[in-house]
Amino acid sequence: MTSAPLYVGIDLGTTNSTAAVFDGEKVTLVRNAQGSPITPSVVRIDARGNVTVGARARRFLDTDADNTRSEFKRLMGTAQGIRFQGAGVERRPEELAAEVLRSLRADVRDQIGVLPARAVISVPALFELPQTSATSEAARLAGFERVELLQEPIASALAAGWTVEDQGGAWLVYDLGGGTFDVSLLETRDGLLRVVGHDGDNFLGGRDFDWAIVDWAIAQAARDGVVIRRGDPAHAGAVRKIKLAAEEAKIELSRVESASITVPGLDVAGAGYDLDVTLDRETLERLCAPAIDRSIAVCRRLLQAHGVADGGLTRVVLVGGPSVMPVVRRLVSQQLAVPPAEGLDPMTLVAQGAAIFAATAGLEARPSAIEAVRGAKVWLQYPAMSSDLTPHVVGRLVERTGPVNSVPTEVQLGRADGLWDSPWTPLDEEGAFVLPVSLVPRKPNVFRLTGKNIQGNAVTIDPPTLTIVQGLTISDPPLSRTIGVALASNDVRVYFERGAPLPARRTFTLHTVDSVARGAEKAVIKIPIVQGEYEQAHLCRLVGALEIGGKELKQTLASGAEVELTIELDRGGRMSARALIPAIGQVFEHVAHLLVPEADPEVLASTVTATRARLGELRTDAFRRQARDSIERLGKVESALDDVGRDIDAARGGDTDAAQKARRTLIEVDAQIEAVELDRRWPELDREAREALIWTTGWVQDYGQPHEQTLYQETAKAVDKARQGRDPLELQRQLRLLRRLGSSAYGRHPEAWKHRFEDAAADVGNATDVARAQALVKEGREALAKGDNEALRRVTQKLWQLLPSAAEDRRKGHESGVR
Amino acid sequence: MSQKPDDFEALADNPFYVLGLRPDCSRIDIEREGQKLLGMLGLKLKSAATYMSPLGPRPRTEDKVRAAMAALRDHEKRLAHEFWASLPPPAAPPKPPPIPETKGPGPAPFAGAFAALGWRRS
Repeated sequence: MTSAPLYVGIDLGTTNSTAAVFDGEKVTLVRNAQGSPITPSVVRIDARGNVTVGARARRFLDTDADNTRSEFKRLMGTAQGIRFQGAGVERRPEELAAEVLRSLRADVRDQIGVLPARAVISVPALFELPQTSATSEAARLAGFERVELLQEPIASALAAGWTVEDQGGAWLVYDLGGGTFDVSLLETRDGLLRVVGHDGDNFLGGRDFDWAIVDWAIAQAARDGVVIRRGDPAHAGAVRKIKLAAEEAKIELSRVESASITVPGLDVAGAGYDLDVTLDRETLERLCAPAIDRSIAVCRRLLQAHGVADGGLTRVVLVGGPSVMPVVRRLVSQQLAVPPAEGLDPMTLVAQGAAIFAATAGLEARPSAIEAVRGAKVWLQYPAMSSDLTPHVVGRLVERTGPVNSVPTEVQLGRADGLWDSPWTPLDEEGAFVLPVSLVPRKPNVFRLTGKNIQGNAVTIDPPTLTIVQGLTISDPPLSRTIGVALASNDVRVYFERGAPLPARRTFTLHTVDSVARGAEKAVIKIPIVQGEYEQAHLCRLVGALEIGGKELKQTLASGAEVELTIELDRGGRMSARALIPAIGQVFEHVAHLLVPEADPEVLASTVTATRARLGELRTDAFRRQARDSIERLGKVESALDDVGRDIDAARGGDTDAAQKARRTLIEVDAQIEAVELDRRWPELDREAREALIWTTGWVQDYGQPHEQTLYQETAKAVDKARQGRDPLELQRQLRLLRRLGSSAYGRHPEAWKHRFEDAAADVGNATDVARAQALVKEGREALAKGDNEALRRVTQKLWQLLPSAAEDRRKGHESGVR
Repeated sequence: MSQKPDDFEALADNPFYVLGLRPDCSRIDIEREGQKLLGMLGLKLKSAATYMSPLGPRPRTEDKVRAAMAALRDHEKRLAHEFWASLPPPAAPPKPPPIPETKGPGPAPFAGAFAALGWRRS
């Protein structure tokens, strides 16, 4: 066992997986039993229940497909069971991912001599919450006691940043994996690596190239009069074999000009057929171009969102197996006018970055790396990796009592090379110290921590040493999608805006819509947690729900009761939620339904039909308005719906992954249609903005505080900018702020609460608890008579909590039980 | 979706106040001070538990420090925060509490922040 630090990073990929270790200076790839650093993400369970992983399993993909599975990463977070016919067992996607992780963990043990207990595992930046949660579960099943998840583009950037000397400027990480595409815009300055933003497509990858080749090969077969259908279960075996051959030809064409796709003895619905066609590089490039164009469009969208003009990038780092293809490198480089970074291995960069990140997170892989030391115990806080040459080490004594001789009163830090020592520093009244240390660049720096007691005698400190690697500082990763709670009004209460730094935690007080009787089995208050950028909850993705059931309640919960809901996200985007009900002092923590929804082909097909009808109406309207942007956007929607149709056919043939892809595309289609709707609503929105400017100006001018008036001016400018740029989402956002400022100023009008109370009192007949609402109205009238404005405010706010939400809004708001 | 932090909170949570830095600080100052404060908060040290704002002392949390660091790393956001952090103080600012003593070497950021805001220690 070596004494150098050991950090493990794992790239758990759709097609292949890799492990790497970092010792503070250099990264080493971990080789598997076959001597390769790349392990195919393939699992086989034979009839006797024996499990095989990697290249040995991959060999059976075409000959024993019923017992050999790949690409399960794309199903992570779904309830989809994966069946192994021979053994008669079913496994969840995360259980299969755990097999791959277990295999990589064993490879680390074989090569390094340590079975790692902690590691960093990479996940796509646009993984949704259920998918990250499933990845953590896979790690737990594989025997890791602690893992951190890291977004793949950050891992790539970290590895590239560690390797490349000239680090300044804005750069792009273009990560085209087997099944997902991620692109990240990064900026490196003064050793700080910052993720400016990212974008991507959860269902775009090298696999799309494979399918394009398969479709081409099927078309070639059709010339021989052989009809092979991807959606037909009877042709599933033949299609699988063609796909494997297509994949091989694609890889070969990265080196040569033409390759043959030869599959003898194909079984096409009982008839035999020998497929033998030649694919040249030019045809391959033509077939792959639409998918590459899609990826470049995503890059442009990201650059545009962050105001990076053409030529504003210093380099692009290409990551992922498919990015080895010359056509990908050429088109990306040409169209984005940026040179690709050379000398980086696209296949292993993510794993290398994950290992480096394990160092920044202080995630030492050894189960008990630090031996127990007898001495004064000190809690320490310091950056395990830092770009700063003089970062701080903060420490605090765990116990400040004990024999005087064993309690330190002064501490000193000394670098192990003997070339730097801190001054002796007295501990403060909390038994703490804050010391800057001096680092040697690009090295792991070991420091000894020593202490002196009040008599000036040496005291042993536990831990006696600490290590800081000088390198890059990585900024907190930004959240890829806004997360909030769906309310009964179909609005979203935003907890974390897109781009918020992780980890993050936030608490808001919500109010229940209905009362729930203690013990009532079927009564449940549902708190839906959604992810997405839209104002209305139904357009956002439901990613979890916290349920408060009558059965678990200690007391009956009144309508309008307070619920303090805390949502917490860790650096890898894992979510946990906790609801405290102060009135009864009870806490609920179980987040239910943390799953990607099932994608039933028939449900998907009926959604397509409904979407096409909506598309028709919008198109007629767009033509009438001569709205060129909308017409163009709807054209793309139509083409996406055609893709969905093909995926539904494939799903009917048993391809569960295609069903998920169709589901996802439909969500994106919905968002596109919503954008067209917003565009159609633009004149109305613009009018609302003008009206809001008029009424708020007066109130803020007359009743606003000076800082509100300053903020108002800024907001009014932002409203103008959004109007000029015709940006409906931004205009809606600024309008909210404008109205809030206006409303806040209006609240200082002497009659404001009287008017608000009268409005609420007029609706009392519809309250969820009429008796309580009537009592509140009575209370309010008394306050009004006494001129007690404060009491009137309290009563009115309580009354608001009892007013009903429209049933339709509530249904759309994922049946939310809170407001 | 009208639940962004209160305007007052936004003013008091200006990243420069949270980190106890002046608007003209360097990028490395932000990283160094942020990392130090995160360490101190991680060890629950009282000397890091509050910060001064024009609205009086405010509790400092790890979340606030992380958000402040993220905001100041972004050039555009930093510019906006510099504007707010350099505004004159309110007409009748609350009396600031005594400045906590800081131990060890490193910048003493609070004193400069007060001077920039026009306050005088009594």
